[in-house]
Amino acid sequence: MGLRVTFNGQFRDATTNVERASERLLQFQRQVSSGRRLDRVSDDPSGASAALGERTKIAQIDQYTRSTDSAYSRLTVLDTVLSDMVTKLTAAQVAATSALGTTPTDAQRTAAAEQLDGLKAALLDDFNTSLQGNYLFAGTKSTTKPYVASGGTVAAYAGSSTEIQVDIEQDRAVTVSFDGGAITKGSDTTDVFAIMDGLIAAVNAADSTAINSGIAALQNVFGRVTAVQSRVGAAMQTLDAEKVLLSATKIASSERLSKLEDTNMAEAITGMQQADTAYKAALGAAAAAAKVSLMDYL
Amino acid sequence: MSDLLTSLNSAARALDAQRFGMDVTGQNIANVNTPGYSRRAIDLVWIAPYDKMSAGGGVEVVGVRALRDRLLDRRLQQELPAERREAAIAEALRTVEAAIGRPGESLDVKLNAFFDSFAKLADNPTSSVARQEVLLQGGALATSFQDMAARLRSAQADSDQQIRAVVDQVNTLTSRMAALNATASHAAATGALPALQDEQLYLARQLSELVDVSVIDHGNGVVDITLGNGKPLVVAEHQYDLGTSSTAPLGYASITSGGVDVTSQITGGRLGGLLQVRDVNVPAYLDQLDTLAYNVATQVNTLHTAGYDQTGTAGVAFFTFSPSIVGTAGAAEALVVNPLVAADARKIAAASITDVGDNQTARGIAALRDARVLNSGTATFTDAWGQLVYTVGRDSKDAADDQATREEIVRQVDQLRDQISGVSLDEEAANLLKFQRAYEANARFFKACEDTIDSLLRNLS
Repeated sequence: MGLRVTFNGQFRDATTNVERASERLLQFQRQVSSGRRLDRVSDDPSGASAALGERTKIAQIDQYTRSTDSAYSRLTVLDTVLSDMVTKLTAAQVAATSALGTTPTDAQRTAAAEQLDGLKAALLDDFNTSLQGNYLFAGTKSTTKPYVASGGTVAAYAGSSTEIQVDIEQDRAVTVSFDGGAITKGSDTTDVFAIMDGLIAAVNAADSTAINSGIAALQNVFGRVTAVQSRVGAAMQTLDAEKVLLSATKIASSERLSKLEDTNMAEAITGMQQADTAYKAALGAAAAAAKVSLMDYL
Repeated sequence: MSDLLTSLNSAARALDAQRFGMDVTGQNIANVNTPGYSRRAIDLVWIAPYDKMSAGGGVEVVGVRALRDRLLDRRLQQELPAERREAAIAEALRTVEAAIGRPGESLDVKLNAFFDSFAKLADNPTSSVARQEVLLQGGALATSFQDMAARLRSAQADSDQQIRAVVDQVNTLTSRMAALNATASHAAATGALPALQDEQLYLARQLSELVDVSVIDHGNGVVDITLGNGKPLVVAEHQYDLGTSSTAPLGYASITSGGVDVTSQITGGRLGGLLQVRDVNVPAYLDQLDTLAYNVATQVNTLHTAGYDQTGTAGVAFFTFSPSIVGTAGAAEALVVNPLVAADARKIAAASITDVGDNQTARGIAALRDARVLNSGTATFTDAWGQLVYTVGRDSKDAADDQATREEIVRQVDQLRDQISGVSLDEEAANLLKFQRAYEANARFFKACEDTIDSLLRNLS
């Protein structure tokens, strides 16, 4: 005896097939219309978990990009200030040199001394540079003015010897706020402002020995400023390279994320068309099977 | 030796038999869509001749049989609990999955935003805006943990509600079965046994969908039902209710039978699936979530308390638990930003020394995003969250896949059962034709006999 085809069996088969075909069609439709391959986590649990990792990585990169941009703008300001300091220190050395020997007249000496006084004030301003309320040469005491002048005297360094660093990558940081004391004074006995005061006095007194030692002391300061400037320059170069790296990493991460989460349109649309055909075929078959019955022929 | 009147009698019997055949066909066609109906077949036998001069007494109806395959029915009763179990799990986990959210739209975003806020603070530790942002994101992260835990709890409570409803359904079905068992002897006497058995099998099937039961069919219209572990639910006309008792601490229902807790012994059917979700799956997710919340709080607090706030005072805990917790249990639900910190953003410790411009602590907390501090130093916070997302997704997918496979098995068995018990309209149409033609032929024979008697009587007159 052959297979008994029962009315209910036929009906069950037809409905199951139509349901399956329509479900498949719906899946593809959802993928195409939402643009997302992962609609629910269970669509691809390991893919969803990997996507999570990529998203975190992208968030991290975005954060590092923000930090890099912010650090870069601070370093740009620092670089400008340090360049200015170099100019001022050179000018001070030139002015002091002009007062050396017996040739300069008193008037010339006074002019040189006044110029030195102006340069000292300019250097004071430079070391007290602040950005968004934070002093750039006060170390971690960023809200404390590093050098306070009262009368003509500049008080000792009030900032911190700890520098401030910001992270621009995992385990990679750049210094954005420097220890002003280490630049103005370093391991010397007097800071740049005392040196300037000494120079002004020496120029006024036409004390060539003191002027020469003052010039030599300024040279030390000059060396420390340029050393910091090259650190800033190197940091800026690092940031430039970092920015390129960050954006490349982000592109790579985004691509991986897109592969994990986004619909492959070509595939999904082809799949949708196939599913549509299968659905129509299932409907047709169900309708055709239900049409014929021996009852019709009796 | 047979005579004309005997022939007339046997023709009348034959007409009856064929008409009865048409009746049975009609009954089959009428019940083509009735769930649980097994097709009926009429059993006919010929009546043997009385002596050597007799052709035989015609035909007789012996009875009506319901066509079934007990093996297939049993197979269905075995497959259904597993299929329904997976279906219940898949259905419940779909809700949990929705609660967990998609990557990029859930707790992972809050975690990232929280660490971002500390990175911004590290960039500018004296900025009050950056400090407010840390408070905002810390609060959002805590709320996100609370919401997630609440959603998981509500999924658990939903399952519990359904468990209670299923237990009621089981009791309704078993009490019906007991009532049917009570009618067995009456049904046997009146020939209603096939109908009774159809109904009992259908009840057994419905029960198998709810819970894994053993069905003992005595074949005489009495069906006993026991739970998988042997606890009786129906013995002849006696029914034993399943009970529910609310159990501390959460007041979820334990299932009892005769006063004994049988919850752990129920594994199959919708009930088994719901219990699995309520007692195994969701608690495991909650546990993972709690561990994550606890570790976020502990790791952040360790750094935060070692740091100094904007006033140069040693830092307090950034996160606290309200109400306080023991171990990690309930950590996600209780996680809050320390009210002391929430009330005063200056209390956020960004520095590792007393200088206001120092950002070491903020940098340290921001770097926790990438720190492998969980699972004995192998996983970051997002990894741990990803693990939870993966577990939920995989459980849900496993249940759905398993259900699809088992559903196909059930369908195949149903199909096989249908091939034996189901009604084929074509076949019934053919049967109808068969009995109709046989009736017509027998009617002719009757007429022939009658005509013969008639002509005999005419000759006599």
